[in-house]
Amino acid sequence: MIDVARIDFWAASGSGRFHRASAIAKVLFVLLVVAAAVTAVSPYPLACAYVLMLVAATAAGLPVLRMAALSLYAIVFVFLYGLSLRGGPWVYALLFFKATTPAFAVLTLIVSTPFPRLFAVLSAALPEIIAAGLLMTYRTFFVLFDMMGNFISAIRLRGGFSPGSLVKNSANISKGIGMLFVRAAEQSTRIYAVMAVRGYSGRMASTDVEKMRKDDWLPLGMGLVILSIAIVWK
Amino acid sequence: MTHLHIPDGVLPAWLWVSGFVVMSLALAVSLFRLRGMDMKKKIPLLGTLSAAMLVAMTLEIVPIAYHVNLSVIAGILLGPSLGFVAAFIANLMLAFMGHGGITVIGLNTLLLGSEAVLGHIFFYLLMKRLPVFWRSGTAAVLALMTSTVLLIGIVAASNLDPGLFGESGEHAHGHLGRVSVPLFATMALSLGFVGWLIESAITGAVVKFISQVKPDLLAHALHGKAGNGATTGGAGD
Repeated sequence: MIDVARIDFWAASGSGRFHRASAIAKVLFVLLVVAAAVTAVSPYPLACAYVLMLVAATAAGLPVLRMAALSLYAIVFVFLYGLSLRGGPWVYALLFFKATTPAFAVLTLIVSTPFPRLFAVLSAALPEIIAAGLLMTYRTFFVLFDMMGNFISAIRLRGGFSPGSLVKNSANISKGIGMLFVRAAEQSTRIYAVMAVRGYSGRMASTDVEKMRKDDWLPLGMGLVILSIAIVWK
Repeated sequence: MTHLHIPDGVLPAWLWVSGFVVMSLALAVSLFRLRGMDMKKKIPLLGTLSAAMLVAMTLEIVPIAYHVNLSVIAGILLGPSLGFVAAFIANLMLAFMGHGGITVIGLNTLLLGSEAVLGHIFFYLLMKRLPVFWRSGTAAVLALMTSTVLLIGIVAASNLDPGLFGESGEHAHGHLGRVSVPLFATMALSLGFVGWLIESAITGAVVKFISQVKPDLLAHALHGKAGNGATTGGAGD
């Protein structure tokens, strides 16, 4: 399950070394770890990288246990893919760390960087409609999320959820999702009207990329170390 | 079946680079087709419906811990071009939450985007006399089946690269065989079948609900003409 609200809270509320680093440095850190995962031919350097990131995240006050749990999501695909490979434990270990190590790096980025700062980096390279769409998605998400939360509470209070009853639960969830889409469309009309009154001209996302900071040494240094380990450790 | 968001480092580089290229082309075509529209109105709609997709993904259906994608509904409501852009946005945000890799955003977007595009096309083409529930449900099943076949195709294509994971590694050499595509296909189709049924039932119920509560959202899809452009957004897309 994707807990965007909690991730957003962690990103906005922390003050550790990762939170103080610039968004561009952390994006580069992710790219370096992804490059390490792509080039690695042994699970050991990636396992070392995972442990290194765990230690750094713990030291920086990030929610490591939740991050580790979330990084395991990637293994769903890997499990099926791994079963289809005629390999032994070595292959499964390599596959496991190829999937979870970059996932942990991405989680390190997002639990320490509020989405608008991240979008500002991405907006420099994306078309306006996508950059603005990303920002609008992020802004609207929490409104709709609260709406859905209220709906689920109401359904539960009225006995609409029955453990074990897939049909009944699916039918109730469908009505909630239907309402969500209707409200989302209405919300978009209202948002557009409000923005038009405020002089909206089609540009929304900030493209001002943050400058590098002194705290960037941690993500950049760690990313370079991880990539070097993956290249050297054959 | 696109719940199996492909992670980084598993597929060969040539494959995910190709995925980025094809996705960029598809995105360029989508944006080109959208050029004549009033983007100031489309952006709020795109954002809110992408957000609705993400919110729906946070809902877990007990007791099987399944979460829906709703890419077909996005395709039906937004149209193929805007639906593909919404799929890209949802995938980008998912990738930045650890759901699917960064390098495979291209391939994952093609999978999710294909559901939105095909869902819209099937909804338009399929037996217009059918009730909305069955029409949208069937469109969802067909779109999800196609995306699962696409996923199997991607995995099969990974066999084309003999240097998968780099076979020069001392331990890796000899241990890494090729993917057994029939085995992967069997597992993906078996698991996918359950997913298609749930997703199509929910898609059918949601589209039916929308057609009863706010039919103008589907006006373009149900009647083959533009609905209220300010609210539907999918018209003529």
